[in-house]
Amino acid sequence: MLINLSHYMSILSGASFLLCACLSFLFIKHADESKTLIKNIFSNSCYLLFISFGIYVSLAISDDFSVEYIANHSNSNLPVFYKISSIWSAHEGSMFVWILFLAIWGYFFNLHKASNDQIKMTSIGIISLILFGFMVFLLLTSSPFTQILPLAPENGADINPVLQDPALAMHPPTLYLGYVGFVIPFAYSISFLIHEEYSYSWERAIRSWSVIAWSFLTIGIALGSWWAYYELGWGGYWFWDPVENVALMPWLAATAFIHSLKVSADTRAHRSWTILLALLVFSLSLFGAFIVRSGIIDSVHSFANDPERGLYLLAFCSIIVLSSLFIYANKYEKLSSKKSTLLSKQSFISINNILFITLIFSTMLGVLYPLIFEYLYNEKISVGAPFYNSIYIPITIIAAVFLVFSIEINWNGSLSKIKFLHPLSFSIIFAFVITLYLYQEFEIKNILLLISLFVGYLIIIRYLFVLFMSKYINIASFCAHFGLGVLIVAISLNSLLSSERVLNLNINETKTYKGINITLEQIKVLKGSNYDSIKGFLKVNDGANQYILEPEKRRYFVRGQITTETDIKVTPFKDIYVTLGDQLDDGSWIVNVQLNYFIRYIWASMIMMALASLFIISNIRRQS
Amino acid sequence: MKNIFKLFIIVVPATFFIFFYFYLSEDKTYPGFQTDEFAFPNFYLETLDDEKVFLNEQDLPSTGLLNVWASWCITCLVEHPFLMKLKEKDVKIIGLNYKDERLNAQNWLNKYGDPYSDILYDPKGSLALDLGVTGAPETFLIHNGKIIAHYSGEVNERVWTETFLPIITKNNIKNL
Repeated sequence: MLINLSHYMSILSGASFLLCACLSFLFIKHADESKTLIKNIFSNSCYLLFISFGIYVSLAISDDFSVEYIANHSNSNLPVFYKISSIWSAHEGSMFVWILFLAIWGYFFNLHKASNDQIKMTSIGIISLILFGFMVFLLLTSSPFTQILPLAPENGADINPVLQDPALAMHPPTLYLGYVGFVIPFAYSISFLIHEEYSYSWERAIRSWSVIAWSFLTIGIALGSWWAYYELGWGGYWFWDPVENVALMPWLAATAFIHSLKVSADTRAHRSWTILLALLVFSLSLFGAFIVRSGIIDSVHSFANDPERGLYLLAFCSIIVLSSLFIYANKYEKLSSKKSTLLSKQSFISINNILFITLIFSTMLGVLYPLIFEYLYNEKISVGAPFYNSIYIPITIIAAVFLVFSIEINWNGSLSKIKFLHPLSFSIIFAFVITLYLYQEFEIKNILLLISLFVGYLIIIRYLFVLFMSKYINIASFCAHFGLGVLIVAISLNSLLSSERVLNLNINETKTYKGINITLEQIKVLKGSNYDSIKGFLKVNDGANQYILEPEKRRYFVRGQITTETDIKVTPFKDIYVTLGDQLDDGSWIVNVQLNYFIRYIWASMIMMALASLFIISNIRRQS
Repeated sequence: MKNIFKLFIIVVPATFFIFFYFYLSEDKTYPGFQTDEFAFPNFYLETLDDEKVFLNEQDLPSTGLLNVWASWCITCLVEHPFLMKLKEKDVKIIGLNYKDERLNAQNWLNKYGDPYSDILYDPKGSLALDLGVTGAPETFLIHNGKIIAHYSGEVNERVWTETFLPIITKNNIKNL
């Protein structure tokens, strides 16, 4: 049986990772003799895992419903793409994918030629140990290899129709690639501390790795947000759901980390702080895995509750996190860092890092407070958007201002050298004028919104000056920060302008909402491959153009679940977002119309930020 | 100072881990499920569509479920497919729309479907207060005008078979 083969190869690869870890710690002082051996064992353990996963994928494609997990989460009617993505639609399979990605990162890192063999070998050992721990977790508490014997069902269940969507199928893998990618800076920095070779610049060795992991995390979050927007039918892009927050925390920490890494690599300042951030990013990724998979939080994302899994993950995470922090606490004083001058570029970056840490802790508080409250008082409460908005908005504004200042200065330079007739002064004036115009035009009363718009435009304009006026331009920094400026402006304008309205329309009736004429032309009952549907045909006329929008309600056969397929007309500045509701007793249909302004710019700006990593990597290559 | 920092970075995460340990190891198979019997409180509420008025329990079906929900409640959305399934099995579910806006609640039902036979609109949470509701979702089992069991939290297939069904069989309820 192929599934048994896949199972055994996973067990074997787990054992082999343990062997690799033991050897690398045994020969910790003799890297030269052991490096080929350890390198080969690690590669081979990875191959075993890759083959095991490959077999599993082929079983999912060929509908082997004797495998319990595949029978429960896939179905022979599904397209091949969704048969594959069904593997990560629940706990066991997604844990398998998580481990696979961890091994892929380790595999490439292992192949890469290192500037310091000793440190690299030990970090391979640490990665092996982490892989071994997760492998034991997979095999003992959440095995995807369980079979239904002796008789396999003829057909599988269905995957949740809400999950049958390309963006969502790609969302978990991208996010996982980001999460687990930070194992490399984590392992490398601990290994660096263990070997006490403080003159070695470990920061340079892992910059590319960290930046790639960061961009995967960014894209993964953007994909999730985009999916929630058009599929869940909520019409928003961020919901402060606990699991979203759990993904946001490593992202914030990673953003702080890659900035601090740059500072340490170039100027050798804040070195111990950079290491602490490296530990924090991966610890937060583990924390995320723990929160989601132990079932202690109710959320749209949470997997089934199983205390045994939770306890294992808790024990495993606490060993990794506490032992790494213990090593850090014992060694960090020996790291000599250069002191940075006040008001220099690195000092602004560190202030922003502190602001990011503040955001992380506040988010952590928002996630944990309901749990603590429930534990103590046995009552459920929830912490929602008002709490997060009240923290995120002011801190983002302050961080954006510091960002603009930090552009102006060189490393170790000082702000005081800036002259009055500097692009900065012009940027401030332009941004102010634009904000003033928006204030007049839309009668904005919310002062925080005005300030957000101002700083958003300030960043955009300042970077446009850099783009057109400077002799030297750092494209990576331009992409990332221009993207941030667009993000801030898009979020502010979206919250200012967007609106929604519920209309009830008879066939061929026209109603007007905000200058847009909406006519319900007809309603059709259709049959899809695994669902029935009711589809509305709406003629939408915004004065200049005319579109036909076709929102749909589907009822899936297998689970009986009803889903709403929205239809969205994308125009340069706004989305016209239509969902179909029920039919009323008088025969008219309920149609929900939302005008979402600048929402595309939110994701576009995130993609732009993620693209910055490509330029950073090419810069690093050129330098070395 | 340095020692305090060292202590801090070890002790703070350790505290979290210890908390999680206690949280996870606490026996809470179904802490939200309670089977104390009590009479339905008096109330006077409009329905969500503003077409009918309900006065006290005589206007409710004598046997059925009462589900407290709101459009702002994410767990209610998670629970929703299961309620739709119950509706298909002809289980009568009365909705109690809790501290919500009419328009938002109606939008929500239009988007996801309506599992309820009637919905009481309780913007101030007055009936919910008398029922002892602390948050949404919460589900009450009504039998002969009395509440015989209630569950706070998401009702799903597992909760349903392991908590509600035994009570339903015990009380010999046929036409839920």
